[in-house]
Amino acid sequence: MNVDRIVAVILRQAYESRRNLDRMMDMLYWPVLDVFLWGFFTVYLSRTGTLRPGIVGFLLGGAILWGVFRAFQRDMTIGVLSDLWSRNLGTLFATPLTVWEYMGALLALNLAKTVAGVSFAALIAWIAYAYKIFPFTLRLLPSLLNLILFAFVVGLAITGLILRFTTRIQGLTWSFTGFLLPVSCVFYPVSSLPRSLRPVAWALPTTHAFEGMRAVLAGKPAPAAYLVWGLLLNLLYLAATVAFFHWMFERARAEGLLVKQD
Amino acid sequence: MLVEVAHLVKRFRDVTVVDGVSFSIADGEILGLLGPNGAGKSTTIQMVMGLIRPTSGEIRIFGLSFSRHRGEILRRMNIASPYLSLPARLTVYESLDIYARLYGVTHRAEKIAQLLQRFEIEHLRASLVGRLSSGEVVRVTLARALLNEPKLLLLDEPTAFLDPHAAARMRETILAVQRDSGMAVLYTSHNMAEVEQMCSRIVFLHRGRVLVTGSPIEVSRSILRTDINRPALQEVYQHVAAGRVR
Repeated sequence: MNVDRIVAVILRQAYESRRNLDRMMDMLYWPVLDVFLWGFFTVYLSRTGTLRPGIVGFLLGGAILWGVFRAFQRDMTIGVLSDLWSRNLGTLFATPLTVWEYMGALLALNLAKTVAGVSFAALIAWIAYAYKIFPFTLRLLPSLLNLILFAFVVGLAITGLILRFTTRIQGLTWSFTGFLLPVSCVFYPVSSLPRSLRPVAWALPTTHAFEGMRAVLAGKPAPAAYLVWGLLLNLLYLAATVAFFHWMFERARAEGLLVKQD
Repeated sequence: MLVEVAHLVKRFRDVTVVDGVSFSIADGEILGLLGPNGAGKSTTIQMVMGLIRPTSGEIRIFGLSFSRHRGEILRRMNIASPYLSLPARLTVYESLDIYARLYGVTHRAEKIAQLLQRFEIEHLRASLVGRLSSGEVVRVTLARALLNEPKLLLLDEPTAFLDPHAAARMRETILAVQRDSGMAVLYTSHNMAEVEQMCSRIVFLHRGRVLVTGSPIEVSRSILRTDINRPALQEVYQHVAAGRVR
């Protein structure tokens, strides 16, 4: 890993983001929209008297953390897509840059963007609904890290698929997390799911992260089991996805798709 | 030899695009890689650059195997090709700066200033790449390709989008850089007069195979089967493109 080359890729993405309204919107617009949407919903529930204690925290916390997961995965993939759209990917890989330096740079950049995005969403939740997620930050950190790690895994897998099967399947960038949403139990506990879906839910690190989040927001001690299971699943998926991505990248190189996508 | 390509084959599913191509490039040589559309020139260049993995065959550059010494080789070579672009939303300076970092160029600002001056594009320094004319893009692309002072430069149709005057200026610049640095160049073009001016030796490809290798006059004599005493690559090209060679 060469730090100068990683910095070069970070700068390339940062320059593009600065001039691209879509990217700025992605970073701030969707997290804030989610907070407002779920905030209004909890206000409505509280007025109808059907609000259980702690539900505001579960819903807003879920909205903020799911926003982190979705944004991180999407922005990882969009970083690669922007180089494919501008036919710059081949130019980059004609330099000594390695594919892992490239992905490492996207990871570092998205970590910074995530911190900015989640801070902004949490600030809005605090201003609009007096919902303070900041006091829980330290105890939510394991859940947050598991979510980010799984977002990286999913982003890596989707990027590999796009490299291999071209931008014809780029819609996965925006749609795949939607497929995970119902079984990740973001806004409800696993026990709400039909029995047949529960093993699927428990196989996802996201489910462990959100169960952990709810325990923390309910004022219980940070549950180590959710963190450990989430981490173990993440490491398993990460190992498999790294091998899968490498395979997809080499297949794309064999097919000449780094230079011509169509 | 600076570059040794041996028995290079590339198949895309059932189609063989490059079929047993071998050639070498000496230090400081300008080698032309010619052939009609579909001859396998760009695929060969992209395999030499590591962007496409060969089906079989070997590529050795600077005496090193590409598959084992990718980073070391790519630090000392570069490419300009219409298939390889720069990000549209970055300025010319930002793009060059990023690529200078990728190549580990020291004194980046001075190097970029020197290249902007050499290609007469100093005024485009703060312009977005996406707003440049195609001729300006070619000049920026060439400036990018010289950032790391390559020992080997791959030029894939470098004057394709230039008007005749700009193309002539570009050829002069490339030749001047080549004379100053002693770099070797692998050159493709559909402009045969340009190839005659630039290249000391030619590898003529047809349907993925090497048809003939030699100086422009040797290639002309071999393909046209006449004892002419001047290069006639335009006639050679038409002869091959019309399918009069098997």
